[in-house]
Amino acid sequence: MNIDDHERFRRMTDESLAGGIADDGERLLREHLDTCTGCREYHDASNRVVAGLRGFSFEADASLNARVLSSLRRSAQRGRRRWVWSSAAAVVLTMGGTLVDLRFGDLMASVFDIQRMQVREGLLTFWIVPSLCVLMLFPLLPLLGKAGTRREERI
Amino acid sequence: MFDYELTTGALMESDTRQIARGLRQRDVVVLEALVEQYQHRVVRYLIYLLGRRDGVDDLAQEMWLRVLERGSSYDGESRFEPWLFRIARNVAVDDLRKRRVFSLDSNDDGSCRPVAASDEPSPFTLAARTEDAGRLARSLETLEPVYREALVLRFQEDLSLQEIAAIVGAPVSTVASRIYKGLATLRPQFEGGSA
Repeated sequence: MNIDDHERFRRMTDESLAGGIADDGERLLREHLDTCTGCREYHDASNRVVAGLRGFSFEADASLNARVLSSLRRSAQRGRRRWVWSSAAAVVLTMGGTLVDLRFGDLMASVFDIQRMQVREGLLTFWIVPSLCVLMLFPLLPLLGKAGTRREERI
Repeated sequence: MFDYELTTGALMESDTRQIARGLRQRDVVVLEALVEQYQHRVVRYLIYLLGRRDGVDDLAQEMWLRVLERGSSYDGESRFEPWLFRIARNVAVDDLRKRRVFSLDSNDDGSCRPVAASDEPSPFTLAARTEDAGRLARSLETLEPVYREALVLRFQEDLSLQEIAAIVGAPVSTVASRIYKGLATLRPQFEGGSA
């Protein structure tokens, strides 16, 4: 057996640890390790590295979970509150615009000396429809955020 | 109150859809269960990645807030861990950019450039619980972060090469190469009669 063959089996040892190799490869490796002391030592040393890596134990700060949970609760509440207030503001604006049109449309038409329909179109274009759009956009915000996050996560 | 129940330690792969739904709804109960189950793993990953203990708790806290904010991007179709570790990595990368300490971009040219070790005991030295871990601690301290990262994700988190590749944003072959090089750097500790 030449040096290249040993190199190949050592490479197979690494591959076996890193991601697994096919059954045939595993069998060949076992057979070789039974007869080759050098590759066996290499294999044992590799396994001890992996065992050593699993022998580290990092303790999280005891108060960390409590701190994290507290800030998560605060943040979740803030998010919900913001959503509720924004939605409420959009509802009020939409209804307000409609009310202004119904109650003060004629008055505004006479004051500005324009037709009643022009007042309605103006209110619809610059007040009611934008408010309605904001109101309808809120349920879509998480989806927009998702698309944005995906772009950002490509670091 | 809830049409499902998640208790600490009970989050398994089959629960990924429930996790996704909980994150979408910003459900604090789900988040609490996730924090309980994954906190120490996130802390461990960040320590491996950064090679230090200081500030890791703050980064873990920031990561969970990011999980809350971006929870809707987890679809529940794949395992939760890779998604979580990817967020943890992004938080660490942002922190490194701010501090301008070192980059996680490796040249992958076949060499492990040693990182200068300080005289203070590293987190690895302090966390070694077995004799073999103790022997590795010093070498880990000087190993480049990308190699440490590949090793911890493969051998402590038991993630597949594909999952690790998705986390680090590198090809599978690069991840495998990092694992081989990481092992090659650490193996001499147990070779040549030193074992």
